[in-house]
Formats: sequence, C-alpha cells, structure tokens
Amino acid sequence: MSKRTTISERALTRRELIAGGMTLGAASLLAACVGTTTGGGGGGAATTGAVTLQNSVQDAEPKAALEALVKAYQGDEVTLNSVATEQFRAQLTNYLRSGDAPEVLSWYAGSVARSYADEGLLLDVSPLWQGDGVCAGYSDALRGLSTDAAGKQIFVPTSYYWWSVFYKKSAFEKWGVEAPTSWDEFHALCENLSGQGIAPLTNGLSSTPWMASGWFDYLNLRVNGAQYHRELLAGEHAFNDPEVVAVMEEYKRLIPYFDKNAASYTAQDAATPVAQDKSAMYLVGAFVTSYFPEDQRDDLDFFSVPVINDSVPIAEEAPTDGYFAAANSDNHQGALDLLSYLASTQSQQQYIEQSGSANLPTSPDVDTSGLSPLVQKGIELLNNTEEITQFFNRDSSDALQATADTALTKFLAVPDSMKSILDEWQTAAEGVFAS
Amino acid sequence: MSAQTSAPRRRSGLARVPLLVWVFLLVPFAIELFWVFWPAANSFSLSLTRWDGITPAEPIGLQNFRDLAADPIFLTALRNNVIWVFGFGGLSVVGGLVLAVTLNKPGPLVGLYRSAIYLPMVVSLAVSGLFWRVMYAPDGPINGTLGLLGLESLERQWLADPAVALGAVLIAAVWRQVGYIMVLYLAGLKGTDPTLEEAAAVDGASAWQRFWRIVMPQLRGVNTVVFAVTVIDSLRTFDIVWAMTRGGPYNETQLLSTYMFQQAFTTGNLGYASAIAVVIFALAIGFIITYLARQARTED
Repeated sequence: MSKRTTISERALTRRELIAGGMTLGAASLLAACVGTTTGGGGGGAATTGAVTLQNSVQDAEPKAALEALVKAYQGDEVTLNSVATEQFRAQLTNYLRSGDAPEVLSWYAGSVARSYADEGLLLDVSPLWQGDGVCAGYSDALRGLSTDAAGKQIFVPTSYYWWSVFYKKSAFEKWGVEAPTSWDEFHALCENLSGQGIAPLTNGLSSTPWMASGWFDYLNLRVNGAQYHRELLAGEHAFNDPEVVAVMEEYKRLIPYFDKNAASYTAQDAATPVAQDKSAMYLVGAFVTSYFPEDQRDDLDFFSVPVINDSVPIAEEAPTDGYFAAANSDNHQGALDLLSYLASTQSQQQYIEQSGSANLPTSPDVDTSGLSPLVQKGIELLNNTEEITQFFNRDSSDALQATADTALTKFLAVPDSMKSILDEWQTAAEGVFAS
Repeated sequence: MSAQTSAPRRRSGLARVPLLVWVFLLVPFAIELFWVFWPAANSFSLSLTRWDGITPAEPIGLQNFRDLAADPIFLTALRNNVIWVFGFGGLSVVGGLVLAVTLNKPGPLVGLYRSAIYLPMVVSLAVSGLFWRVMYAPDGPINGTLGLLGLESLERQWLADPAVALGAVLIAAVWRQVGYIMVLYLAGLKGTDPTLEEAAAVDGASAWQRFWRIVMPQLRGVNTVVFAVTVIDSLRTFDIVWAMTRGGPYNETQLLSTYMFQQAFTTGNLGYASAIAVVIFALAIGFIITYLARQARTED
C-alpha cells in the first residue's frame, strides 16, 4: 500500500517513463495486430495457391498414407491438419462456421453431412459428380449418400468399410471351433468358448462408448430390419417400443459373454485380448485390422452376424468416409481440385495399399485383385447384402449418438433396469429431435 | 493496518494521479472488458436462448433453466460437483496443511520431499489424467498391486464402475492439487512468528493447542487464498475428468463443467450450455461471497 502512494507523490523517474512508453507501444502494437487479423485474415488466405486439409485420421498407418498422398499432390500447397477424432467431432461445427474455414475436411457421408449442408455450410461439389468428374462413375448408393436434401452433391466418398464379427483363424483352430452360420450356433459357440475359459466377445466402451451401438445396430437390423432401423433413428418410432425391447432382450443374452474388462477398454484396447487369444470375437469395423500386430493381420477372418429373423432382408453396416468442402473457405477451386485428386482412382489405390486398414475403394475402377483376401471377402459381403446402413451416429446425428451411449452403456452395466433405461432414452431422444 | 492512515491521503491523491497511470489502468481495463467481461455477459443472454451456433439464436426465456431442473444428467452433475467441492477441497486442504506442517520442520531430505510432492503440479492436468488412466487400467499397477497383496476382492474396474469412478478421479486430482496447497501453507507458515509458539510452549500449551490457537489464527490470510483457489479450482475442474472418463460411465462422473462442454461442443446446444455456465458462475460467486462475508464479520 505504501509503495503505491509514493508513485503518485513524486515525479516519474526516467525508467518508469521508458517502461510506460514501452507498454503503450506494445498496446498499440497489439491493437494493430488485432486489426490485421480481423481485417486481413481473409485477405491473407485469399491468395489462391493454398488449401487446408483438416482431417481426423488418427491411426498411424492411415495417417502416414494420407501424408504421402498429400505430399505427392502437384496442385496448390496443402496444409495438412490432423486432429484426434473426438476433438475433430467436437470442433467440426466451429471449423465450418469460421469465416476462414479450412478448404477441405474429412468426415462421414449420410445424414451427418446432410445436416451441415442444410445449414448452408458445405460447398456444392456436383461438378465432380457430372460429366467426366472424378465421382461420375460411382455407384448410385454412394451418390445417394452424398446428395443433400436439395439434390446437390456435397460429399466426396473415398473409401468405405464393413462391420462384422472378427476373429483369428488360428485361435478358432486351437479351440476347435468354427464360425457359426446361425444364431443358435453363435450362442452355442459362445457357450463353448466360455466353458474353455475364454471370453467369447470383446468390446471397448470407456472413451469410445459408441462401440456399444455396434451390437445394437446389428441386433436391430437382424430382428427388425434395416427399414425399421432407419425409421427408429429418424425419430419415427420410440426407443421404448416393443420392437426395441425385443432387440434389448437379444442384447441381454449376450452380456454374460463379454470380456469383463470391456467397460474399461477403448475400441483399440479391446483388440488386445483377441490378439492374445484371451478373447475370441469382436464386432467391429474393418479398421480393426490396423489394431493387430502386423504378423497377425493375415490370420484375421470375419463372419457376418447370423440371421435372427429370416423375414427381414439381410443388411450390413458399411460406413462411408470421405471429404467435404467448406462453403466459407476462400479457395473453392483449390478445394475442388484437391477433392478430385483425393478421390481419383490412383489416389484411392495408393491410400488403400498403404493404410494397412481394410478399406474398400469407392471408385469402381480401382484394381482390387491385388488386395488382401480379407478385403476381397469384405467386398463380396457388401455386394451380396440386400440393405446397407452406415452406423448409429452416421444414420442419425452425433447428438442422438450421445443418448445411445448413455442408454446402452448403462444397460450393459445394469441390464435389469432395461425398462427404465429405454424410457429415459426415449425422453432424451425426444429432446434431441425437438431441438 | 495502514488503511486508516492512508485513506485521506489516497482521496487527495486520486486527483493527482498522472495521466499515464490512468492510461495504464484504462487500456488493460478496456481489453479486459472486451475480451473477458463482454463474452461472459454474453453467456448470460445466451442462456435465455436456444442456439445451435449456426442459425440465429431463438429467445426462449427461462426454458433452459426449467429443462435443467428436470434433466437427470444435470442433477447428477450437480450432485457430483457438490461431492467434488467437498472431496477435492477438503482432501487437498487437509492434506496440504498436514504436509506443510510436517515439512516445515528442518530435517533430512525435506527439500527433496517438498519438490517431489510439488512435482505433479508441474505436469498438466490432461497428462495427469492419462497417467492415472494407466494406473487404473484393468490390468494396471493398482489392480496388480492389490492382486500381489492378496486383495483380489478389492480389484475394480476403477474408471468404469460408477460406484468408484468419481472417487478414483478425485484421488488423481487431489494427488496433483495437494502439492500446490502445501506450498501456499508453507509460505504462510514462514510468515508466522515462532516466538509466539515458543512462549505458548513455555506456558504449557500442548502441540495441538499451539497449532490451533497460535499458528492457525496467523494463517488466516493464507486460508482466504486457499479457500478461494480451492473453490474456484474445484468448480472449474474439467480437464482431468475429461481425460480420464469423459463424464462416463453413462454420465456418472459428469461434472457441471464437463456436461457444459459436452452440451456446447459435442451436441451443439450452446444456449443450454450457457445456462449451465450461469449455474456454475452463481455457485462460485455464492461460495466466495458467503465466505468473504463471514470473514469480514469475524474480523469486525
């Protein structure tokens, strides 16, 4: 206190004056900086010849494959920003809304992309889907997934993958079991493995609680069919309807078969017990191959979740990945050029070969004969299915996924409260559909 | 102490404050106003709207607050926050004080102990969270140690079992905070007058009496700081919970801050999230004002 009063009592010393001047200078400099960033931010990036590729590629090998692709790009200079998926998901709205949005962003096809398009945040990429555009020859299913409510294409799919029950051939051989072909056989297999002291199923629900939706989706597809599943996720049915209760009853029967640590694992951790032959099967996307040691990848095989109700058409989940471009970016042409490059047959081929993950190409011209037998089998699976869905969040929204995460992880922990959990889920879902 | 003598001088001094000093005060104040208070005030008005961050905000009055009152996740988060304020605050203050008193005495390796206890503070909360996630892993060191000691019955899915998850995160947070509180109290203890304690000892006061009646009253200033720091830290706790459990399993470890983040940035309900922010603000201000008012009363 006494020190402070002295300042006002005596004349400023020279040192104080200089320090004061410096602070003032710094303040005006700061003000100048603020001025340039607000005014010049757009201007700086408007110089064509630079594009930003914001992506959520997280696993090491796919990331390296993408980096290699970008490095070989002959067009504009590309800034590659890789952000962890969960973070990316949380920030995506902000990326797209910002006045100086990244030109190209990786994300998912379907209702998630469509909801951004409805808000006018995505660039119309229809030119790539017409004439001799890079996507012109893609399948109608992919075109449908990439089209918004107004009929414009707003997405460029570059790869997709399938979900199935993965297992190790050598382990099944060791345990003397075979892949099941019916739902009863599947249960018998689980019983058999449990009896041998092996956890029949694994899952990773800790920081990836959405993994609980994998079984929910498949059981719903097998019990009620793809049509009902889509309608349920669009809010046309309630989560406490008897149809969903029937699905949960099937889910309940599986609970004793899960690895006891499933709630503590992440999706990635959950592959470890399978690699160590402590756990047998994992219902997961084909990206799981990159979670296994390299020398085990050829040992992996899969079977589709067996039919439960043979009156519904067989359906598989095949999430489609790719890129969209922000409407708020400065370099629209640069974005389209980069998208054309990333979606080209050659780029897809290179990416699939290098990423080590079992991705399928979206371009019909990619030569798949050199791909691994596992991937060949995946292509066949999807070619022979009657219906294709993506995944819970991609067929609905991230907000609805959050309600599923809460409901399903709680159900797996306290299955006896199923009734009240479904009621809570429906209430939460109504909140999502209302907002 | 000097308040009485300097008060009249200050009043006359106000007119004589040179322009430069005013500039020093006003420029940062203007910046603070624009970058801190204005956005903060905005969250109050946002809390009365429904806003997804893209389309224009739609005013809905107090609906967000009514929804909060009926939202089971919010109520869990509120309950957890109360547990957190008392658990985190209580354990770190008691632990910090005990450590400070113990390590205030000269002894072998005291410096080493002090640095070791303070060390976790150097690491960011997110990193502490990752470290503790490894500790708590199903086959991690904690379950491993329990197994070695023959206490298999105590092994848990520490972060996945709602009965223990919040406590498990709490311990990790206290582990980090306790060193900080210890340093604050060590500084306070250095400022106490040892002769008073000696005099009390000569008069036959026990160690316990000396601590409560002689040392503690002298730590009043530090206590105020520790209280404010602890309440604010516990209400703004976010990173360690996010890094360890993300509010899971099924929202059982959700705090107000993590739920606010989830609502704002995962599900895009910025209006609703702002309403949660207002509740956090009200709680923090409520705690601090009550405490300061009580302090002022006891000082009178």
